Amino acid sequence: MDNNALIRRIIRSKETYMLILPGVIWFVIFAYIPMYGLTLAFKTYKANLGIFGSPWVGLEKFEYVFRDPAFMESVWRTLWINLGRIVFTFPVPILLALLLNELRLQWYKKTVQTIFTFPYFLSWIIVASVLINFLDMQGLVNGVIRLLGGEPINFLGNTTLFRPLLYLTDIWKNAGWTMIIYLAAITSIDTEQYESAQLDGATRLQTMWYITLPGIMNTVVVMLILAAGNIMTAGFDQIFNISNAATAKAGEILDIYIYRITFQSAADFSFSTAVSLFRSVINFVLLLLADRICKMLGSEGLFPPIRRTARKGRAILRAGGA
Amino acid sequence: MAEVIMNPEPARRTARRKRSIQGRIELLDIVLIVILAVLALLIIIPFLNVLAISFVTQQEYLKTSILLFPKEITLENYKAMFEDGRIWTGYRTTAILLAIGVPINMFLTTSMAYGLSRPDYPFKRFFIFFVVVTMMFNGGIIPMYLLMKQLHLINSLWSVVLAYGINAFYLIIMMNYFSNLPIALAESAKLDGAGEWTILFRIILPLSMPIMATMTLFYAVDRWNEWFNAMIFIRKGNLVVLQLALRSIVIDSQISQQLNISNIQTDKQFTEGMKMAAVIVSMLPIMCVFPLLQRHFVKGMLIGAIKA
Repeated sequence: MDNNALIRRIIRSKETYMLILPGVIWFVIFAYIPMYGLTLAFKTYKANLGIFGSPWVGLEKFEYVFRDPAFMESVWRTLWINLGRIVFTFPVPILLALLLNELRLQWYKKTVQTIFTFPYFLSWIIVASVLINFLDMQGLVNGVIRLLGGEPINFLGNTTLFRPLLYLTDIWKNAGWTMIIYLAAITSIDTEQYESAQLDGATRLQTMWYITLPGIMNTVVVMLILAAGNIMTAGFDQIFNISNAATAKAGEILDIYIYRITFQSAADFSFSTAVSLFRSVINFVLLLLADRICKMLGSEGLFPPIRRTARKGRAILRAGGA
Repeated sequence: MAEVIMNPEPARRTARRKRSIQGRIELLDIVLIVILAVLALLIIIPFLNVLAISFVTQQEYLKTSILLFPKEITLENYKAMFEDGRIWTGYRTTAILLAIGVPINMFLTTSMAYGLSRPDYPFKRFFIFFVVVTMMFNGGIIPMYLLMKQLHLINSLWSVVLAYGINAFYLIIMMNYFSNLPIALAESAKLDGAGEWTILFRIILPLSMPIMATMTLFYAVDRWNEWFNAMIFIRKGNLVVLQLALRSIVIDSQISQQLNISNIQTDKQFTEGMKMAAVIVSMLPIMCVFPLLQRHFVKGMLIGAIKA
């Protein structure tokens, strides 16, 4: 196509561009300029010169970052806490979906599903308020323990119980919603497989293990890769609201560290940006790495399933007409 | 956090098949019912406990160790909570945020989604890529804060409104929806001389009410739960959003309680009851729209949008 034809097509589409324009402006100002703002990691921020005008200093800030012991500690802490999430909380929604799928009372299934998904729609501030009330020294759980003659346990102010607390509250809030994703994946398993299993006399536990679970493996892998890509960031809202003075140190993940050095002490914005850039790069590298590893292990990795789900979604929308 | 908005309706066909072949209740069914009931109770009981505490007097609270169904109901805690005033301020700010924010969200998202969904215009792929990139990378809070400072929006609600203008995932969902509407309608209107904006408002939107309703609901819930941006951008006491008001009532006092262990309340006012009243009031609107949210994704309307 020559240039003139292109220009003619652009002019013909001008109304389409007008529709897109407000959104594009928003993205440029509030997504792309902040993205460009990450260059502050290589600059010294001067308030009077702004993001664009501040002078470049190269990698100097990163040298300071890596010299801060609190930084390295929070990096390792983040890694351990969020690896723990993958080990302890990641499998729970899969298990729940498998259990719920075996349930034959439809009304019961619906009710349970509704109850499980509700906490997901609340903010961590509300969830933390509810669970703090439930678990603190005067709370219901310790009430039961006292009634049974035990010593009350300080669930919230105890550093050794802090990680289990994080995993359990994470499950409490989010497992129900993630379960929905797996339930949706289960619907797309070919029913013929179940029928032939039935003919072969397989028990329900066997079908669950040999048909349902392999049937949702692709979704599991996608979720796993996404979780890997989130390892340096998961949990700010949760920890910010569930930790307290006694557990603050045990919960200082990288994002909390960034928040603390930026908004609570004398801020060096370039330093903080360097930390947050480091964090994003690690996340991205881990995402690609997990994708690569899954591909080596014979799975199709992250991108084809996403494309397929999008296609399927479109097909269902078309058929249903909503 | 990855979320997928999908059709959660589990295999109906599978269920039907199972029922027809084996109708009897096995041991497995009973075990399942019991396990799931216990888990469901673990979610319900903390809420019930909060609700109960919000309605009792301090005497009853101190007397009962497992408080789920209060014997006597009092509204004193709610009165105390409203007299405290912080929740009112929060409600007002969040109401303003919703009233300004959600229409802006919907305008930006709808017009861009419709524009992007048009079948044929130059650089279509580029613009979609332009959106998708923002799903993978973002500048984070520090550049955003400095940007707001440069725009002189610090301590103004506009910072919170504008920082969350378009959710790229919702945008993609909507775009997919619009792409699948029959284009013949739009084409004939175009021949009659209607402009794209007219087509959008007169033809497309009336056909898209379900998705518009869902998106409005999703944005409204996001706005209701919004606190982080507000905490960073707004330091003025009279513009505290609801979630932060709740945080200052419940969580901050919890943090100070952890420092001195003798925390049995002896003051005139029953603070625990007041706090729980605040939790209930902050949760109420979500509880009201939850059946709607539930129905919308049970209908299987938003399918297959992966939110990463």
